[in-house]
Amino acid sequence: MTSLKADLRLAFELTRGSDRGEWWRVTLTATGAALATGFALTAVALASLRGGHDVPVAAGLLDEPGTRAGVIVSLMLLLVPVLGFLGQCARIGAVHRDRRLAGLRLAGATAWQVRRIAALETGLACLLGSAVATVFSVPVLLRLWDRPTVLAWVGIALVAAGVPLLGAAAGALALRRVVASPLGWVRRLGPRTGRGPGVLFLAGVVLVGVVTLVAVLSTSPAAPDRPYAGPPLMMVGTVLAVGAGAVWLSGAAARVTGRILAARARSAAALIAAERLRDDPWAAARTHAAVLLVTVVGGGFTGVRAVLLDEVRTGKQLAESPDYYITGLDLTGVAIAVALAITLSGLAVGTAESLATRRRGLAAQVAAGVPRAVLGRALLLETALPLAPAVLLAGLGGTAVAAGYALLTGHPFPWAAALVPVAVYAACLLAAATSLPLLGRSVRPAELRYA
Amino acid sequence: MISMSTRHILLGLLATGPSHGYDLKRRHDERFPQARPLAYGQVYTTLQRLVRDGLAEVDGTGSDGGPERTAYRTTDEGTEELARWAGEIAPPAPFVANEIFAKVVVAILSGGDPARYLSAQRAAHMERMRELTAVKAAKGADLATVLSADYALNHLDADLRWMNTTAARLTTLTAEVDAA
Amino acid sequence: MSRPVPLLSATGLTKAHGRSPALRGASVELHAGEILAVTGPSGSGKSTLLHCLAGIVRPDAGSVTYDGRRLEDLPEKRLSELRRTEFGVVFQFGQLIPELTVLDNAALPLLLAGTGRAEARARAGEWLERFGVRGQEDLRPGELSGGQAQRAAMARALVTGPRVVFADEPTGALDSLAGEQLMTALVHTARDAGTAVLLITHDAQVAAYADREVQLRDGAVAALGVTA
Repeated sequence: MTSLKADLRLAFELTRGSDRGEWWRVTLTATGAALATGFALTAVALASLRGGHDVPVAAGLLDEPGTRAGVIVSLMLLLVPVLGFLGQCARIGAVHRDRRLAGLRLAGATAWQVRRIAALETGLACLLGSAVATVFSVPVLLRLWDRPTVLAWVGIALVAAGVPLLGAAAGALALRRVVASPLGWVRRLGPRTGRGPGVLFLAGVVLVGVVTLVAVLSTSPAAPDRPYAGPPLMMVGTVLAVGAGAVWLSGAAARVTGRILAARARSAAALIAAERLRDDPWAAARTHAAVLLVTVVGGGFTGVRAVLLDEVRTGKQLAESPDYYITGLDLTGVAIAVALAITLSGLAVGTAESLATRRRGLAAQVAAGVPRAVLGRALLLETALPLAPAVLLAGLGGTAVAAGYALLTGHPFPWAAALVPVAVYAACLLAAATSLPLLGRSVRPAELRYA
Repeated sequence: MISMSTRHILLGLLATGPSHGYDLKRRHDERFPQARPLAYGQVYTTLQRLVRDGLAEVDGTGSDGGPERTAYRTTDEGTEELARWAGEIAPPAPFVANEIFAKVVVAILSGGDPARYLSAQRAAHMERMRELTAVKAAKGADLATVLSADYALNHLDADLRWMNTTAARLTTLTAEVDAA
Repeated sequence: MSRPVPLLSATGLTKAHGRSPALRGASVELHAGEILAVTGPSGSGKSTLLHCLAGIVRPDAGSVTYDGRRLEDLPEKRLSELRRTEFGVVFQFGQLIPELTVLDNAALPLLLAGTGRAEARARAGEWLERFGVRGQEDLRPGELSGGQAQRAAMARALVTGPRVVFADEPTGALDSLAGEQLMTALVHTARDAGTAVLLITHDAQVAAYADREVQLRDGAVAALGVTA
């Protein structure tokens, strides 16, 4: 216990004495954790409901087990971009943090102590976010629901405690190489993330998928005449496959693009961007994977929504009021928009972090007369190049879903769906461009001073 | 230091075979480019002492149409003495004869300007270092030249560093010397 | 005999970092083809002087003239162009892009000047060879030793045929043998090409490679060394 207290103190001191980048990491990690907790809490509360209820929000969507399951699935799916965002936040100040922890190791800390300190650093940030989200969620829940069941309380407690624990575990896991070779890591020039983050992201997606499956199955017990396990299982499978494919596609696209362009690049900006991609193709895979998921889901949804709205307006054999359906569609749309927003934030954070890590080298480039415009273009190309083929493919997927649905229901081709990938791509470039002002700020001659 | 071991250096040069006095001088100056060049008279007297001590002997006299020259060769005793000397460690500077420090102290005692003296001395040292560096960095300089220049450069650099730290602490030194 | 007009000159440079002054009225001249060493203790303003002379930072007061042009009158765009065409810079470390190969790093200034990739790589290869970086063209900078990386950086600084090379403690992170090899290569190449070099160092043995020495103390020139 004493050693844990000492570690806690050290973790706190390290965070307190660190620079602005570290505080950004803590704030953003806490925000991500708060979002994750919020989504998970809502999903858990809904999953603990049994049978029909009268829930006074969302136009009755939450009353029936069937539609409630859909909402739960959407909420859990929203966790995917949040995971991507958290992964990106973990990269902030990663080089300095790794050096610092390796320094601790050199100063005589055992491998376990270093792991514990790192876990505490991340875990505390997640605890902060989870606590804030829980404190705000529980009163809202109590107002809507007079006497929550024991199951609901247990679920809430599990989520509130689970998010920081998972964060701490991820923090410790990310350090495995630093712990293994403190000297080697101190002397390394920069991190080579490898495939680890992609695996971590996939693990997160699998976890989300399994939890979703359990939640959906428990909320609507399968009746003998209505085998309910089929569709959700298929859906989880699809999401997993698409997620895994997206990570792989994004990384592979980055590597291939880098390799091809590095050999053929004619301009300095393209060469720098291409070589960076070839060197570390998995760096952006997590955020880009989330972008791809949003593109597929967004494209498909846009098509389906157009068709459904058409159906609702023509008013053919509706069981409920049109409001019921429109609210459902709008809520799904909002969920996808939120997912896109979170993903774009992750992208912006990632670009800014990549700039901050390289600021000394960038200052040297500028001193050598490399125009800022070239560096800016290289930065944008780093995002634009690997994303282009991946978004194109994802856009085709989404449009195919939308077109297939329209074809089956006998509606005209939903052109809006084809516009989604274009809009997503443009939004990504804009998100990456938000860090361009940082380029001017971080590239200062003061970075060239070694003293 | 050079004069101290001239006899051994000549013995070393003789180890490759009999040689005339003039030849020895020429080979010495070639092989030790940064050392003070040997005077011919010094070579001659040293060779005579080597013969007197039984470390070298006259090999023969020839003229080859020019002036008459005496060739010398090393004896067994000379070979032994050379091996002993080459293996002996040089004492690490037992007495530091620091002329620069003496001048600084004298300047303080006589009310002179030690800072100005140090500055001028530093400029002279730098000038000599530039000369040696030019010799060393010249295209086609052989390794022997580079290494002997390096030896001198490192010693001058040590002086220079000492002068820099002394210049920065002159006030304290002045107070100390004046008080004594 | 009247002295020729210097290629690069600074008069009365003043520059402060925040509240601490780095330069207080420093003046210095660099002639075409000359190798000039700027020495001085830590914090005497050596690096800041180099940054001002190379047009990397603008001084608070004073003037820098290069080849008849006053740098303070030029916009950042022109300064940046000047730095990549007429100047070369070498720092203690960190100037090579870690993701690019050694050859592409050396070819970068040519690419920026609009030279084709193949020609840029060919010319960069020649310069790397001249600095003794052979057989390592396809490695990344992280795979080189400190001395090799600095020689590659020198090759990159000289690849465009600049008229002035600014070197800020180029041997600072090297052992004495690697430093000697780097300096010998620099001096030979600069003399052959007629390139002027402004060399910042705290090491007298490195400063001895220069024709002339300027000593900085508290942001101003303390004493002019003897002209060779």
